[in-house]
Amino acid sequence: MTTADRDRPPPAESGLTEAELAEAGLAESSARKPIAGVRLGFGGWLRWGWRQLTSMRTALILLFLLALASVPGSVLPQEGIDPAAVTQYYTAHPALAPLLNRLSLFSVFAAPWFAAIYILLFASLAGCVLPRTFRLVGSARQRPPRAPSNLARLPFSASYATDLPPGEALDAASQVLRKRRFRLESGDGWVSAEKGYLREVGNLVFHIALLALLLSVGLGGILGYKANRLLIVGQGFANTPTALDVFRPGRLVGPSNLQPFEINLNSFQAKYITSGPEMDQPIGYTAPLSYRAEPGDPLRHYTLSVNHPLVVDSVSVYLIGHGYAPEFKITDGTGKVRWQGPVPFIPVDPTTMISEGVIKVPDAEPTQLGFAGVFLPTAVDVGGQLQSAFPAALFPRVSLVAYAGNLGMNSGSPQSVYQLDTTGMHRLPIAATPLAPGQSMRLPDGAGTLTFTGYQQWISLAITYDPGQLPALISGFAALAGLILSFMVRRRRVFVRARTLADGGTEVMLGGLARSDAAGGFENEFADLTKVFRNSGTTKTAGPTAPGDAEHNPALAGREGSEG
Amino acid sequence: MPVNTGLADVSNALLFSTVILYAIGMLCYACDFAFARQRVMAEMPARVAVGAGGPPVTVPAAPPAAGPATAGPSFPQENTPDGAAQRWPVGFWQRTAFGLTCVGLLSQVFAILTRGIAEHRVPWGNMYEFLAAITCMAVLVLVVVSVRYQAYYMGLFVLLPVVLGLGIDLTVIYTPAGQLVPALQSYWIAIHVTAMIVAAGLFIFGAVVTTIYLLADRSERRLAAGRPSWSAGILQHLPGPVILDRLSYRTVLFGFPVWTFGVMAGAIWADHAWGRYWGWDPKETWSFITWVVYAGFLHARATGGWRGRRAAWIHLAGFGCLMFNLIGVNLLITGLHSYAGM
Repeated sequence: MTTADRDRPPPAESGLTEAELAEAGLAESSARKPIAGVRLGFGGWLRWGWRQLTSMRTALILLFLLALASVPGSVLPQEGIDPAAVTQYYTAHPALAPLLNRLSLFSVFAAPWFAAIYILLFASLAGCVLPRTFRLVGSARQRPPRAPSNLARLPFSASYATDLPPGEALDAASQVLRKRRFRLESGDGWVSAEKGYLREVGNLVFHIALLALLLSVGLGGILGYKANRLLIVGQGFANTPTALDVFRPGRLVGPSNLQPFEINLNSFQAKYITSGPEMDQPIGYTAPLSYRAEPGDPLRHYTLSVNHPLVVDSVSVYLIGHGYAPEFKITDGTGKVRWQGPVPFIPVDPTTMISEGVIKVPDAEPTQLGFAGVFLPTAVDVGGQLQSAFPAALFPRVSLVAYAGNLGMNSGSPQSVYQLDTTGMHRLPIAATPLAPGQSMRLPDGAGTLTFTGYQQWISLAITYDPGQLPALISGFAALAGLILSFMVRRRRVFVRARTLADGGTEVMLGGLARSDAAGGFENEFADLTKVFRNSGTTKTAGPTAPGDAEHNPALAGREGSEG
Repeated sequence: MPVNTGLADVSNALLFSTVILYAIGMLCYACDFAFARQRVMAEMPARVAVGAGGPPVTVPAAPPAAGPATAGPSFPQENTPDGAAQRWPVGFWQRTAFGLTCVGLLSQVFAILTRGIAEHRVPWGNMYEFLAAITCMAVLVLVVVSVRYQAYYMGLFVLLPVVLGLGIDLTVIYTPAGQLVPALQSYWIAIHVTAMIVAAGLFIFGAVVTTIYLLADRSERRLAAGRPSWSAGILQHLPGPVILDRLSYRTVLFGFPVWTFGVMAGAIWADHAWGRYWGWDPKETWSFITWVVYAGFLHARATGGWRGRRAAWIHLAGFGCLMFNLIGVNLLITGLHSYAGM
């Protein structure tokens, strides 16, 4: 638990015995460890194991294990975040990578050992929180305990003498405490007061909210889905599994559960800084869309941009990337047009938007054709090498290498549309010269012609549906509220005893106990209370023993006495 | 809107003068330790007084390594009859040092304000701006704590990392004023990053206090064992470990909810920008690790056998994670937060 503790040790500093602390309500009575020499049955070991699991020490160790276990997830490439980087890692470290993979180090946050840590931690948490919740409910109606007999031995104590009879002195003290909203209990010659129950409430709310947060995340993972879709300007799609490039449904999501919206991309604009030290930096992307919530609905419009997702039917659609799609017209050796349209190229450098891509023409005759190359939005010649000087398409060029032969698309194994398998192909003897829009490349041996007809832009969309989101948000804020409450409220007890002295006067003893005050602060309140008590009755002499009683001044006390 | 370069230059000049003011202030704090002999705290063995020349604040001398006591040692009374007199710095060197710190802070606030006006946005878009902001927050915490708890003795130790940090900020990682990339163009930057700055400033102060606490604790134990302690000379100007420990704990009590809020605001923003509220991006992972370690510190602080030194080391480990997150992740690991780099 955050501050109030599970295995609270009796504070050795106060010099109290266990019995006295128990009397004052500070010590916990239950023993934690099995007693040596006593044989434990199976049930006993189970109980012992449960106590170990729910002990603070175990919780702390699990907490640090959780932190430690997260580290590789940030250092090594992760399958769920950047699969391409994982592939790259395999090529760079062919010996090490399979070993790391066996340890699930490329998907740390989905690894069984990571789950083991947090499940144990949350079990430990639940095992601690639930009994405490019951205890809190019980203690909500509980009265403060009887005042210990010797208040001078409490961490905070003070005493003063007064002319009032004991009963009236106690009444005066009770009034002060009641006004300060302490919960009171009184008996023969004593008053007990307690305050700060909200601390435990806050503490429990925090921990229960954390459990709720975990459940919400799990709920979202089971009932929600994530998808990606690349969309070229002028094109559209309907939200069905086949129309999505990547579709990661939760365990309980079937194809029929997808919200049936349709989206068309009308245009796309990217704005860049054109001069100065920050040249090439993007300053804004806008993608005007038209969409329908379901077939037959009226067409609506939305301008999609970064940080402004489209929400349709409780699904959110985000703009997460963009790129160029050069348009080609390809005729084969027989003179037939075998391809016409845009081909998305993938940016390899986000600052200059140099993009790579491939074109596959499986229908070409007499042999299949394949092209691999780059698209340069603003092509410049740097020492004989083609570069892009700016991310916007100011001077667009494509440069392609042509292949003929077998594309290998019928081999059965799935192929990426962004990669060309050249094992069954040969490179055609033609230099990769940059093409301007409208220019053509005539392939040798009458294999065909490729014309670079222009370019389009594309955007990539992330589509997410996460029903756990709102519960997670509520849990998060509940946790924060509980945290603040438990940090701000201090649970403390104040005891007052009054008795008649031999000389006929009355001695009032005060004792104070902060049950949770690691940050300090109770000493001020106690000193203040002492002062108020003293002023509320007639005071003759004072005998302060309070460590926090900083304002004690005998002369002042005497004057107060004479006034009263 | 284009950047107002003239105003951006003013901001640079202001930040430069800030470093100089802090540096001189730091020297004055050192002089205060060296020359203001009459306020050596070890000469009051029965008391652990923080104030200078104030009314006696009686607290029992804590047993070594006792850790934070549940009761007893206290901060000085906040409203003592002549509290006004002890609230403010005492002596030429301390007054000068504190004055310079305040003027420096003012200059830094104006440096950040002018930068923001020049850029027409919240001035925390890159690491240069972020470092300027968190050091500003750390000094603000120093000034507030100095006055509230008469903790003027912290000046030297807090200004030292602040001056070093700002020096590196102005030289190595300086970034000219500019516009934000689209991913950062959201009002969430004002919420998420501001929370992170406030938390980081508090955590910097807390970590400095904890470092001093560990030194004081070590020195006290060595002296108790009859062994020499090289830090005893400077530590006699400081309050005992118990008060230092509480001061650092209080900063974490403030900082931790702010950090929690910052992480949550970041999650909400991530949901707006990237379509998921949590994706184990390196920055997210490390803010989670930082949160977990600081939570561990808070739990350790409340657990027997873990208090005192052990908890202090956990505190410093948490701060290490925080610093790695702010600097290491930007430099070493590529992730969605990479635009925050240099």
